[in-house]
Amino acid sequence: MKTQNKNITYDALVIGAGIAGGEAALNLANTGFKVLLVEKDDSVGGKMILLSKVFPTLDCSACITTPKFSEIARHPNITLFTGSQVSNIKKHGENNFTATIHKKPRYVHVEDCTACQKCEQVCPVNVKDQYQYNLVGRKAAYIPFSICSPKAAVIDIDNCTLCGACERACPTNCIDFTMEEEVYDLQVKTIVLSTGFKLFDPLKMPRYGYGVYKNVVTSMQMERLIAPTRPFNNVLRPGDGKMPDKIAYVLCTGSRDVTVGNPICSQICCMYSIKQAQLLMGALPMADVTIYYLNIRSFGKGFEEFYEQAKGMGVNFVKGKIGKITEKENGSLILRYEDINSGKLKEAEHDLVVLSVGALPNNEAKGLFADNLQLDRFNFVDQVELMTSPAKTNIDGVFVAGTASAPMDIPDTILSAGSASSEAISYLMKENAPQPPKSGVKVGQFSGC
Amino acid sequence: MEKRIGVYICHCGGNISDYVDVEKVRQSVENDDNIVLAKTTMFACSDANQNEMVEDIKNHNLDAVIVASCSPKLHLVTFRNVTERGDLNKYTYVHANIREQASWAHADNFPAATDKTIQLVKAAIAKSRTTKALEPTKIKAERSVAVIGAGVTGMKAAITLAEKDTHVFLIEKESQVGGWVAKWKDLFMTEETGDMIVKQLHEDLKKRQNVSILLNSEVIGNVGSIGNISLKIKQKEEEFDITVGSVLVATGFEPYKPKEDEFGFGKVPNVITLPEFKQLIDHEKGKLMYNGKKVENIAYIYCVGSRQPEGGNTYCSRYCCTATIHAAIEARKKFKDIQNYHFTRGVRSYGKQELLYAESLQGGDIFLQSYEDDLPTVFARNNRPVVRINDILTGGKELEVEADLVVLVTGMAPRSNDTVGSLFKLPRGRDRFFNEVHMKLRPVETVIDGITIAGACQGPKTILESVNSALAAATKSYSNISKGVLETDPQIATIDVKACTGCGDCIPECPFDAISMVEDKGKTVAVINNTLCKGCGMCTPVCPTDAIDLVAFSNVQIMGMIDALV
Repeated sequence: MKTQNKNITYDALVIGAGIAGGEAALNLANTGFKVLLVEKDDSVGGKMILLSKVFPTLDCSACITTPKFSEIARHPNITLFTGSQVSNIKKHGENNFTATIHKKPRYVHVEDCTACQKCEQVCPVNVKDQYQYNLVGRKAAYIPFSICSPKAAVIDIDNCTLCGACERACPTNCIDFTMEEEVYDLQVKTIVLSTGFKLFDPLKMPRYGYGVYKNVVTSMQMERLIAPTRPFNNVLRPGDGKMPDKIAYVLCTGSRDVTVGNPICSQICCMYSIKQAQLLMGALPMADVTIYYLNIRSFGKGFEEFYEQAKGMGVNFVKGKIGKITEKENGSLILRYEDINSGKLKEAEHDLVVLSVGALPNNEAKGLFADNLQLDRFNFVDQVELMTSPAKTNIDGVFVAGTASAPMDIPDTILSAGSASSEAISYLMKENAPQPPKSGVKVGQFSGC
Repeated sequence: MEKRIGVYICHCGGNISDYVDVEKVRQSVENDDNIVLAKTTMFACSDANQNEMVEDIKNHNLDAVIVASCSPKLHLVTFRNVTERGDLNKYTYVHANIREQASWAHADNFPAATDKTIQLVKAAIAKSRTTKALEPTKIKAERSVAVIGAGVTGMKAAITLAEKDTHVFLIEKESQVGGWVAKWKDLFMTEETGDMIVKQLHEDLKKRQNVSILLNSEVIGNVGSIGNISLKIKQKEEEFDITVGSVLVATGFEPYKPKEDEFGFGKVPNVITLPEFKQLIDHEKGKLMYNGKKVENIAYIYCVGSRQPEGGNTYCSRYCCTATIHAAIEARKKFKDIQNYHFTRGVRSYGKQELLYAESLQGGDIFLQSYEDDLPTVFARNNRPVVRINDILTGGKELEVEADLVVLVTGMAPRSNDTVGSLFKLPRGRDRFFNEVHMKLRPVETVIDGITIAGACQGPKTILESVNSALAAATKSYSNISKGVLETDPQIATIDVKACTGCGDCIPECPFDAISMVEDKGKTVAVINNTLCKGCGMCTPVCPTDAIDLVAFSNVQIMGMIDALV
């Protein structure tokens, strides 16, 4: 495949366009710096844009995310690259970084695509839809999801049969199979790493039967089932399409568990499970929801009250770790657990089980650097001045925002992104300021300095 | 010329359309006068729909737009910007809130929610017919920020602002900087001590020419608004004014003070609070002594002043579980023969702090957990404190621990002194901490433009979290003033000099001291200071001659809306 080499320069490179990267890019752009925001996915928004509602305000996630990304998309100081990978970041001196960006071909000219979905209708290929977390299928020519940005089709070339049906169906001729990967040599002055987190893969815990028992789903799949852009327009269990009426949540799946290599707490699972339980009680008024927990960690602002609210609504909280899940012939599931309140081993039957999977480090961050980016012992990006400058990494001028450094919820992510952008602005201004700043204020008149 | 209005009714992905028949709403307004276009949309705020609106404005020659969706607090600015991109004056945009005011409020009565929505949209149309193009007010922004409170949060905010070529006034009511952290030694998650961190930040601050540290100082007056805020400072006996573009509030918290006999406090001997225990283990050497006796058995009672039932502090103070576990480990390492007993309500050592909990368990600390409706009791036996609990973790057994010292794990409480909060009119939440604009996405901004909040004055936080919020708030304060010029809404009160009788009734009503009396052509009349007026409308109803009108909320517009509603 041919490549073009283009040299581009920006003040700041922000890697990852989830909510952390989006917030950091906006902060930098609003103070006058030119930002290149790079996202490897075909849409911005990260995980947040795919959520249903958010705790504890129950704001619709799409409603509060899309305007932010709309602002990013048209900000005069932000250039956005989706479907693009950063690599080979090198530091040559203060305010002097180079990197390479590979913009993979979308095979669709975004500016001409009207998202009419005619290509989707004619595409003969069916594969699993990663944005719906494999609950349903999608085509090889497809719009990633209904509120994606940029809202344009993309060709999944790995699964495409090159039949050309989409090209013929497209009314604006925006599909172009001659597109090639573009390679950019980039020069920037500072970098914000907002590469996010990965979800724990419950296939690593065979005793919970994920991937074998169809009615065992992950919490992210449940997010999709109850989101406004949900696949079925209803909450249905995947095994047989029946509406569930006895739902179980298994907390700490892949967190606080040395046997799967993750001894730490993921900070978010208690709260998102409580939120989902509340939403399910609204969507399925007859359903019972039980949350099996070790400790409920509702520690943030308004969280404890939200937990109390869930108890008041009738969500069942059972203190106990699930040992094993087995499937009955009708697809329902038997959960075996130690009921800590009574000190006895018990079994309970549920017709849908949700595994509240934890947040793991995104291992890709380190690989972006030719220089050595230091990680902590859990493989999150190391915060070298944890107490006084939490956004600083071991490379001066590279700052970390959001869940790339540790599991955290959305408000903490916004704070962390604000922190990283503040450090990046200071770092940029240090180089730009030739003289000590003049403030026009007489300092001497005040005592106590 | 007749107005050409476009109306968009949002499903809000089900938040509205699950309760309101949006298509019926659309049909009931599409034939109204001036309505050129009426559409429903899944997410009005989505990028795709915004682009469609811009196209509609051009293709249908619209000169006014209404979106009926969520609260204007969320999206008024979003849609104003859309109309601007369609080359309309953004102040011609009218917003109808049909989510908070209809679909969510009447989720139990679908037809009524739909009827109310129709009326709200019709009221918005009535307003839209009489909107006028306006120009934003431009203000020169002072490149300086006042940071109130010189704890770790305030100090860090001051440093990061100073790095951004901004003059900072760091205002502290005590005689030294550092707040609570200056008093602390060992901290969790770091090898650094509290006093070391404060010293390091203080050294940094002292080197900076553009930071004025004002100790023994309090803010006692506040005039002006974003970009140009004049603060009156009282430093000991002296008073003076400073002018800043933005204010960052970092007034911190107060440790919860247990009530008399709350878990034996003040009644049973040897019952102390967590801050007192921290002081004790930081300063004792060799043997841990209290009241002249050696301490071996220590009982920690968690959630004192946190997670209280309705009427108390219902929130979780977030830092205390790990702080206690850490202090207990330190005590065990530093002194001989210590046995720790933790009386918890479920341990919340979130994130990487979990490792400390694991370390504590491995080191032999004993954890017990009480039932939510049956908290532990503390009483004296032979002049020694005893803690009794029905313990969940042993299947509900009643257990007693005879302790040498009982530590009440006290949480963070909001400042009882509300001088700063009331001066800047900062709203407080149900937990009485300062409230942000939006809990998820705007955690450091307040509803008062130009005033940001950071650290534990917004809610309990660890040092790390406070520093992050300090930097985040500093970024927002800085972005307010960095361009030098600010645009503000022109929605202010105006006075018809001819109709004004100079009675002065409006003056005491104005919360911003924006009205004064002047001589005009031989007559005394009221006049509005445009930079101080916020357009709140308090003055309009008291005017006996209706001489006061609000721009963009004029009497004509309000009456038109009322006519549409009733």
